[in-house]
Amino acid sequence: MSHPVSDPPRLSVSAAGGRPRQPLAVRFPGFARRLPWLVLASLALFPLLAPALGLEYYVGFVRRLLIVAIAASSLNFILGYGGMAALGHAGFIGVGAYAVVALVEAGFSSAWLAWGAALAVAGVFAALIGAVSLRTRGVYFIMITLAFAQMLYYLAVSLRTYGGDDGYGLYTPLRLGAWLDGAHPDVFYWVVLAIAALVFAGFSRVAHSRYGHALRGIRDNETRMVALGYPVYRLKLAGFVAAGAVAGLAGGLLASHNAFVSPSMMHWTQSALLLVMVMLGGLGRRWGAPLGVALWLTLEEVLKMHTDYWHWPLGMLLLLVVFHAPQGLAALFERRGGQEGVR
Amino acid sequence: MSLFMAVGLVKRFGGLLATDHVDLAVEQGEIHALIGPNGAGKSTLVNLISGLLPADAGRIVLDGVDLTGLAPHQRVRHGLARCFQITSVFRNDPVRDNLLLAVQAQAGSSFHCLRRREAETALMDAALALADKTGLAEVLDRPAGVLPHGMQKRLDLALALAARPRLLLLDEPMAGMGPEDSLQMIELIGRLRSETAILLIEHDMDAVFRLADRISVLVYGRVLTSGDAAHVKGHAEVQSVYLGTEAHA
Repeated sequence: MSHPVSDPPRLSVSAAGGRPRQPLAVRFPGFARRLPWLVLASLALFPLLAPALGLEYYVGFVRRLLIVAIAASSLNFILGYGGMAALGHAGFIGVGAYAVVALVEAGFSSAWLAWGAALAVAGVFAALIGAVSLRTRGVYFIMITLAFAQMLYYLAVSLRTYGGDDGYGLYTPLRLGAWLDGAHPDVFYWVVLAIAALVFAGFSRVAHSRYGHALRGIRDNETRMVALGYPVYRLKLAGFVAAGAVAGLAGGLLASHNAFVSPSMMHWTQSALLLVMVMLGGLGRRWGAPLGVALWLTLEEVLKMHTDYWHWPLGMLLLLVVFHAPQGLAALFERRGGQEGVR
Repeated sequence: MSLFMAVGLVKRFGGLLATDHVDLAVEQGEIHALIGPNGAGKSTLVNLISGLLPADAGRIVLDGVDLTGLAPHQRVRHGLARCFQITSVFRNDPVRDNLLLAVQAQAGSSFHCLRRREAETALMDAALALADKTGLAEVLDRPAGVLPHGMQKRLDLALALAARPRLLLLDEPMAGMGPEDSLQMIELIGRLRSETAILLIEHDMDAVFRLADRISVLVYGRVLTSGDAAHVKGHAEVQSVYLGTEAHA
């Protein structure tokens, strides 16, 4: 008899207890809508405020973070939305970087030309590699993308003209053209920010388009997509090429950022690291890539200041996320709970 | 000439001849049932016709067009759609998104990547029409995976219908259904007769006899006989391999 009495309170407790677990975007929809703009504005103002805050050193750090976020977003696009577990994404970053090196070695100095070439050449490589790799599935796809990336790595090692193992220094910065050069020491930062914002907005936009829906359909049920009449192979290839091209662009930007290119940037561990960052942030989620990259690189930066054994706490963090937020950090903030629909 | 013809279809799995020179024809406006004991090769045949499995030999012709060398998704473009024995829907997505995805496949290119799909009212209208036709209008917002089995089966059928097929392959649409759901499904399939020819694979004999204009019996990958219900019921060999065992049970 005590059941009917004790049950209702328990129910209401669980309902109240459930509310704080609702994603932030549900509780504060207005704030969630403005958040991207707030983030963009603070990032844009950062170089101007950094000297006052004594954070000048970190302008370069944020610039690198933005570039890595571009690459991670492209990986999130094919892996999170397209279900293509590519373990060779750093290969395309490397192709982009070496495209810049090749142009500089040939005597060109326009940044836009170099980055455009990085995008295009990486896109071509992605088309060739994707055309072969996408005929496989699952573990085979992981292995074959890894194999191609390692081939690119050893190709770079063997390129004597571009420094082989030792890498290649870009001693004169690329020219941005017009009034941009020398207008402000942080022009390159803002250029990177603008490109990152465009890439982020672009992928978000595509996610809601016909193509984005089709890509997620392939991720969730490829056989059914075939039976619905979708040209699955071509759709996947298009996504793979777009992601490879954007990763190449990130590689080109990274070459400018470091003023140095070496084969190590396309080593398979770099691909794996990119994968880990995306999963940390949230696979197939709009904010997954930037969140994962920001958290990982920031912690790495901070931990390195205190200890040489900085891998240790990062590993713990990864375990924590796997057990408590298996959908990634973005899942805690975004509107939809499950791995469904548009995120 | 028949609307659909399969000629001399052969499929081997190692030493097993799963499909043994099968000839099959479906006429315009016909519901053609394919029956046979478990392991007779019915599902293999559907996979061969839809192209999910490559045939070792034989030809497939729909409406005078030879589909033999075409990929499965190209066959859909030519009017050959199918359902799945094991319900195959997008379980995490709402019914509405399932239908939209199916409709989108037929309405122009899916490479459009800038326009928001939500803004395409024509797609939405087509999806809603499909929902009405298959009795899913009440559950548009619910994730497909949580629907009762009967509704999931209807959604599976709705996804195939989006292709506006000339020939619809139904692989056990009544599998695992209670009598009430079965009845609804039988009515629905009966209504489809006016829009598309149907090749129906089904174990539910009651449904087969109510719906089928013609019945082919598949045994050990071969077509044993083909004819109307009376012919099949009266066929001695069919009785022994199929109906006979059911009558005893």
